[in-house]
Amino acid sequence: MSESLLKVRDLKMHFPVKEGIFLRASKFNKAVDGVSLDIAPGETLGLVGESGCGKSTLGRCITRLYQPTAGSIEFRDQDITHLGSNALKPQRQHIQMIFQDPMESLNSRHTVGDIIQEPLIVQNIGDRASRAKRVLELLNIVGLPARSVTRYPFEFSGGQRQRIGIARALALNPKLVICDEPVSALDVSIQSQILNLLIELQQEFNLSYLFIAHDLAVVKHISDRIAIMYLGKIVESGRSEEIYRNAQHPYTQSLIAAIPVPDPHRKVQRQIISGDVPSPIAPPSGCTFHPRCPSAMSRCSQDIPHLDSPMTDKSHLVSCHLMD
Amino acid sequence: MLTLNPQTQKKLRRFRGIKRGYYSFLILVGLMLLTSIGELLVNNRALLVSYDDTWYFPTYADFHPGTDFGLTYGYETNYRDLQQTFEQADNGDFVIMPLIPYSAFENHAPGGIYKPLPPSLELKHYLGTDTTSRDILARLFYGTRIALMFSIAFMVWVYVIGISIGCAMGYFGGVFDLIFQRLIEIWSNIPFLYTVIIVFSVIPSTFAVATRIGILLTVMVLFSWPGMTYYMRTETYKEKTRDYISAARIIGASHSRIIFNHILPNVMSTLVTYMPFTIVGAIGAITALDFLGFGLPAPTPSLGELLKQGTANLRTAPWIVTSAFLTLVTLLTLVTFIGEAVRESFDPKKFTVYK
Repeated sequence: MSESLLKVRDLKMHFPVKEGIFLRASKFNKAVDGVSLDIAPGETLGLVGESGCGKSTLGRCITRLYQPTAGSIEFRDQDITHLGSNALKPQRQHIQMIFQDPMESLNSRHTVGDIIQEPLIVQNIGDRASRAKRVLELLNIVGLPARSVTRYPFEFSGGQRQRIGIARALALNPKLVICDEPVSALDVSIQSQILNLLIELQQEFNLSYLFIAHDLAVVKHISDRIAIMYLGKIVESGRSEEIYRNAQHPYTQSLIAAIPVPDPHRKVQRQIISGDVPSPIAPPSGCTFHPRCPSAMSRCSQDIPHLDSPMTDKSHLVSCHLMD
Repeated sequence: MLTLNPQTQKKLRRFRGIKRGYYSFLILVGLMLLTSIGELLVNNRALLVSYDDTWYFPTYADFHPGTDFGLTYGYETNYRDLQQTFEQADNGDFVIMPLIPYSAFENHAPGGIYKPLPPSLELKHYLGTDTTSRDILARLFYGTRIALMFSIAFMVWVYVIGISIGCAMGYFGGVFDLIFQRLIEIWSNIPFLYTVIIVFSVIPSTFAVATRIGILLTVMVLFSWPGMTYYMRTETYKEKTRDYISAARIIGASHSRIIFNHILPNVMSTLVTYMPFTIVGAIGAITALDFLGFGLPAPTPSLGELLKQGTANLRTAPWIVTSAFLTLVTLLTLVTFIGEAVRESFDPKKFTVYK
């Protein structure tokens, strides 16, 4: 396995739930509870899970929008978990983010030109003329006309706005881009355009993606490896084809069974999991999936399973007692 | 070159489209321009004195003793008398007086007894005089000017302090927010009126009038900024969690850049909407304080002081309260109309793309 660009080890993000008049933290929302993952240069790791499973929180921890409670984030062999804002600033050039809702993530009071060149201004790159040139170059890369520079975000369609967001993320020539559900707010017809753009950009600039999504079909299109998250933990991870062909965890199996297939005659045995995701404030004992698991055993509610590689493909990790 | 955001341009266009508010705005701006050159319109000093073929412009000069114009006294020239003297002498000298040839501080009692005179075209007291024979129109004019200047200064200070602290509370949150919230809660429980009474009974009357106005302004601002922090704090909290702020943080933007480039421009429209109403509140407050006798120190011309005189002499001199009341109502109506038009044209629901 090649040298990894990003190494996350046992990352925990516990948000305090404040109560009472003194706002004491009496409970913790364990949004991310012990996640380890690696991303190699030029690789895409798809991160999939239901709403509220902590996948976005994980992305925001890696970009240090949140200060993780425990664990470590290593980027190019440098531990960035506890860097102060001054030490972190040069590292920020290399880790950028694309957001879910492009309208929310673009300041509606700034022109597109201002938005795209802001990273360059903040990081003190180039003079006025070279920045203007770079903005045009970036607009060209993401497929927007040069006259967009003086326009405002609300004058664009959803897909175009997402292109603006991508141009901003690319402005600093990052190594790693966290894509936080970048297509789930877009029309289906636009989704594939944006996905194809992301794939082209990855090849052109040798980018690594952490691609967060709740839709396995979207992730399948773009990912080299996939990690499935449930309630703050990774329950299964492995190479993309391996996961689709040979999913082991009951949760992954039900997610894959839920992917719609464009064939009206195909009958599938749906594996429906009932109920909602339990509260991460008071997660179930043992395996957190056991209350919804179709094949739960008695030990599932007592012992906590650990990620293990029970398969012949050693990169395929599963966290389930069924594997023992 | 300042280019306005098309959304802002749209708002301004909408504001111009709301005729009532737009014309109120034009009238108020005109009024403010007029009062700013007030010394040329309402003054007991002449605009122009031509004496011995020399021209004098006493309006903004400091002092011309009567001897300058061949009179017998060494104190400040009475230009109205000078005008009559020149007319009688008829030797080419002349005096041009402003439209209203009285100052706001001058007791002009033709009979030598201080008493309210009814409006009189002949004496050029177009709205009469008050109980100490001062011209009411002059006092209304300068009273309006002081009320407007005072409330604009008040608004600026309340905004500067309220925005800074409110924004810091919302942006930094946590312990800082908690401490300031409790401080503000305690602070806003101190009764404003008693504080004003105590402060003004403590400071010596030897202080210059300008200093005393400054102290009054300070006290009023100190008691009014917490209201501003409530809006700013919640607005900042709201904006802070939006993704464009996250995007700015990811590129490494500093706190000051995020506050000044991102948060403040986005909460500006809310703040602009409150401005006219803050001014209405300030004019109302200062008039009420003047009416009670704890406001602007005498002999500063003020609407509240005229209202007080007027209500005290309602039967004998009804013209005092009438003109003061009408001026106050007009002023407040103008600002309220502007405020309503601003609020309507800045209504975010009209433009926002968010659902």
